[in-house]
Amino acid sequence: MPKVTVDGQEIEVPAGATVLQACELAGKEVPRFCYHERLSIAGNCRMCLVEVKPGPPKPQASCALPAADGQEIRTDSEMVKKAREGVMEFLLINHPLDCPICDQGGECDLQDQSVAYGRGGSRYDENKRAVTEKYMGPLIKTAMTRCIHCTRCVRFSEEVAGVDEIGALYRGENMQITTYLERAAEHELSANVIDLCPVGALTSRPYAYEARPWELKKTLSIDVSDAVGANIRVDSRGREVLRVLPRINDDVNEEWISDKARFQVDGLTRRRLDKVWIRKDGKLARASWDEAFRAIAAVNAGASVAAVAGDLVDCETMFAAKKLLGALGSTLIESRQTGMSYPVDNLAAVNFNSTLAGIEEADAILIVGSHIRWEAPLVNVRLRKAAKRGAKIFLVGAEWETTFAAEFLGEDLTVLNNLPDYVNDTMKGAERPAVILGGAALANGALAPALALAEGWNLVREGWNGFNVLHMAAARMGALMLGFAQAGGIADLIAAKPKLLLALGADEVNFATFDGALKVYIGHHGDKGAAAADIVLPGSAYTEKPGTYVNTEGRVQYADKAVFAPGDAREDWTILRALADALGVTVGFDSFPQLRAAMVAEVPALGVEGLANYGALPAAVAGAKAEGRIAAYPIKDFYLTNPIARSSATMQECSSELLHGEDVLEAAE
Amino acid sequence: MGILGKIFTWWDGATIGTSLFSSMNGEHVGTDAQGNKYYRARKKKTVEGRERRWVIYDGANDASRVPAEWHGWLHGAFDDLPESNLPPAKIWEADYSPNATGTTGAYRPQGALERGGQRARATGDYESWAPDA
Amino acid sequence: MLADKDRIFTNLYGFQSWRLDAARQRGDWDNTKDILAKGQDAIIDEIKASGLRGRGGAGFPTGMKWSFMPKESKDGRPSFLVINADESEPGSCKDREIIRHDPHKLIEGALVAGFAMRARAAYIYIRGEYIREAETLFAAVAEAYDAGLIGKNACGSGYDFDVFVHRGAGAYICGEETAMIESLEGKKGQPRLKPPFPAGAGLYGCPTTVNNVESIAVAPTIIRRGASWFSSFGRENNKGTKLFQISGHVEKPCVVEDAMSIPFRELIEKHCGGIRGGWDNLLAVIPGGSSVPLVPAAEIMDAPMDFDGLKAVGSGLGTAAVIVMDKSTDIVRAISRISYFYKHESCGQCTPCREGTGWMWRMMERLRTGDAAVEEIDMLQQVTKQVEGHTICALGDAAAWPIQGLIRHFRPELEHRIAVREAALQEAAE
Repeated sequence: MPKVTVDGQEIEVPAGATVLQACELAGKEVPRFCYHERLSIAGNCRMCLVEVKPGPPKPQASCALPAADGQEIRTDSEMVKKAREGVMEFLLINHPLDCPICDQGGECDLQDQSVAYGRGGSRYDENKRAVTEKYMGPLIKTAMTRCIHCTRCVRFSEEVAGVDEIGALYRGENMQITTYLERAAEHELSANVIDLCPVGALTSRPYAYEARPWELKKTLSIDVSDAVGANIRVDSRGREVLRVLPRINDDVNEEWISDKARFQVDGLTRRRLDKVWIRKDGKLARASWDEAFRAIAAVNAGASVAAVAGDLVDCETMFAAKKLLGALGSTLIESRQTGMSYPVDNLAAVNFNSTLAGIEEADAILIVGSHIRWEAPLVNVRLRKAAKRGAKIFLVGAEWETTFAAEFLGEDLTVLNNLPDYVNDTMKGAERPAVILGGAALANGALAPALALAEGWNLVREGWNGFNVLHMAAARMGALMLGFAQAGGIADLIAAKPKLLLALGADEVNFATFDGALKVYIGHHGDKGAAAADIVLPGSAYTEKPGTYVNTEGRVQYADKAVFAPGDAREDWTILRALADALGVTVGFDSFPQLRAAMVAEVPALGVEGLANYGALPAAVAGAKAEGRIAAYPIKDFYLTNPIARSSATMQECSSELLHGEDVLEAAE
Repeated sequence: MGILGKIFTWWDGATIGTSLFSSMNGEHVGTDAQGNKYYRARKKKTVEGRERRWVIYDGANDASRVPAEWHGWLHGAFDDLPESNLPPAKIWEADYSPNATGTTGAYRPQGALERGGQRARATGDYESWAPDA
Repeated sequence: MLADKDRIFTNLYGFQSWRLDAARQRGDWDNTKDILAKGQDAIIDEIKASGLRGRGGAGFPTGMKWSFMPKESKDGRPSFLVINADESEPGSCKDREIIRHDPHKLIEGALVAGFAMRARAAYIYIRGEYIREAETLFAAVAEAYDAGLIGKNACGSGYDFDVFVHRGAGAYICGEETAMIESLEGKKGQPRLKPPFPAGAGLYGCPTTVNNVESIAVAPTIIRRGASWFSSFGRENNKGTKLFQISGHVEKPCVVEDAMSIPFRELIEKHCGGIRGGWDNLLAVIPGGSSVPLVPAAEIMDAPMDFDGLKAVGSGLGTAAVIVMDKSTDIVRAISRISYFYKHESCGQCTPCREGTGWMWRMMERLRTGDAAVEEIDMLQQVTKQVEGHTICALGDAAAWPIQGLIRHFRPELEHRIAVREAALQEAAE
């Protein structure tokens, strides 16, 4: 623990800290551009210069200098002030003065720091440099004349994303940041460079010229595009969500979010359900709420009611539906739309037990049936970190392009029954071995054999639980906690032949199997569900209602309401509450706080933010054998996995350009 | 419009006072194609030393009815009377069209609801789903 | 004047063949096994005792630099020697002569130095433009391998040592030691942050020492003839012999080996036939390659040509690339051209150098024509101060110093140009 003096104030800093961190600990602000906590140190912007004694009689780059015992650091001396002014002047001589038309305006590090640390005016009298525009794909808008060459974007794509997409060309004044041959940046996390860019060189293309940061209302929320539950900030103006930014949460998303989480929000203004529709003579026609409720009541379903929850639904909605069905006398509720039927009597067996942050510590990982880059890009970042620390990673399933060193063991699941010796030895010999099961593995019944492997490898040990299931639906863990699952999966519902089916934003269900039921779709987007429904009731998307979400590691998180739902749409729970009245039953809540209280009373874990405790893993079933092949993964198109993303023009563009771009080119030839 | 109209209205031509003033102090120097009559003060200068000039409209008192050539004279841009000194009108010069402000023929910008056009997208707009779309 | 018997580089002018047999006749590879048999510490101590200072410009004691290398590898990482033959400094041309006429001195030196610092291999990073020199070096290394002088069991000493020649691609900045390491690793040649120093984590993360060609090439001779012989030349703290490269307005420009601390006047008179037009015609001298400040005639004439002697006149020895300028020189244009060189060669990594070099050059261009205000001279001085000492590597300093030297010694000339231009403008206006 070195002791240093910062501006006369003596403090003790952790070993290995840099001078910059020491200054921050002492409460001194040190301006910086290239330094970023989650990236390697570049030390090239020279903005963080401070005076350090002992040392050469010139200012030192504090971000790169280790704090050592007895250092005397000054951040307020004349030398430091001069050095900062000098560097700021250099940064500005070739930076265009186009702040009024720059999208970074108002949240620009260069603006803020030039006010705080720069000179009053410019002495530069020569011509400024201009840089030709670069193309970085449909998400990132570039204005490279504004670039100050901090190389944060280069380091991000190299170190965090794990793809060498962005780099620097030429040298000196002519240095330019670009993608290789101006190809689009294709990685699933590529848009994080927009947040990283301290100036307006890389800005968001879909959000270009939409708003200024000070106009926006900031709402804390949770992302639903995958099961990671990334913490996001929803920026809205009036009734429209304009953009989504990541929040810092080291346990979940650090400070990244996937491109889908960031850019699917423009789908919130398209294909919206804003009116009630009732099917008359085979065609959906507009109707009023009363008509719809009367039509539902007219079925006289009694207890013959079933409910299917979609992938984006919050816990409150599911709980309200469960209460309604309970009041009607039915327990036919299910959330696994695509027909999966893994046992859910012990949730520890279907949870990401290592935790997202914990998987970084693993030193041997076996991934079964998961295209992690698409199913959970943020988990992929963690795995890459683990691999960089030396973890051995094996995968079973169809091959995909990993961003870390890994070995594919083939598509055939039977390999689990008889793993190669070196895999077995690695897993057995590892200190913190982990298994990750993806959706494809669950669908192929690999849960039981994996549990057997877990027992054999002793995955659960003191301070470590290496058994993980990676879900893809934001609603999944919450649904399972609320009991939204049948032993036989959705097949049980089909077999019960309900007279009334409530689809809560469920778009992946094969509605044809529910022939004969009155299908009521409660949701926010006109997708497969609404098209197949007999009655459509407009609900709210995740930005339009407060809600509880549980991510794949069993972390309970709360989201706030950012904007109101459009048109006649209502918050989902109010629709179910009104439906209860129409059906003549009581569900026991009249307000959202009452609903949440009732939910917490039934499932106490949902009332505590943080990891839920699911207890110990179940004992393995003796003789469980894996069979089948994983020739493909459930996600066919990363950018179009949910109704919101499918409606989003940006996501459609990404899909066609980034994923199918080559097909288009071939067709053109 | 008869004398009664002149007494009670002011939006067509000169009021009685202006007519009297014009006939007493003004010198009628010309009439344009629309019949608007142009005057200048017989007593040559105003206090600022400029010549006082005015127009009496033949019809509605709408300043846009002054044609370009007389507009210059009226505003003191030149002193020669347009009728005799200006070059003949060019073929590409557009004819006078009356000011349509306040009428149904008024100009409506693109996107104006009265024009029936699409307005520019505004925050909060959304596209709703329809079953057959 | 250095006696012929005391010259280290006996084939500097290429009068003899550079091949191995000729080199052997000149005494290279003579019982190298015995040198290695002295042991690592003895070699380093000998070099330390000889007072050899790095010949690449900074003048860091070579023996001490070698002694920073780890004595044993604790984690299995090998050590490397990197030899800097990326001689790109304007005015410098000594390494080229060594490589094309005496390559075996360098290769033997690589073995001796590499052995002393317990390096696994030496990488010779040769400047991309040195095409014939690189060919010679490749051939010489092949000869040495064939003769068993390097490679497995080098010179029969039982020590395994490889020499790799790597050609650069023509970037001045790759002559900076960490940028050279980056370039060797196949990355963009940009200097690294220090710490960690290369002796701790250099090439491929392994302990590395980067030395100039001349520092390495003189090592075997020093060991053979003894530290006391080498330190008998030059003043205290500036020992040994040195290759001086004199260019510019002298009668006979040349590369010559002579003792350190030789007075400037003697150096020029003896080897170069004097200044063109006589000593009164001398305007200024850049004594150590383009990156050191110039010294006006009066101060340089009797200054000793060594590290401390030139520091005393506000400049430095650098690589001992002496650029002599007589009074026909447009001194502002000369410095402006040097500024352009640094603007062109800045790697673009860190801000002050990337932005500052361009600014300085543009201002120098205006000062050249007098198209400036007198206050701008002070501003230029401030800008150079803002660059100097604020950058990752020394290129920022190197870009700033020539201009500082110009302003220090030739400010009246700058002001005169501004005045002349203003007068001309006035006249034109009238």
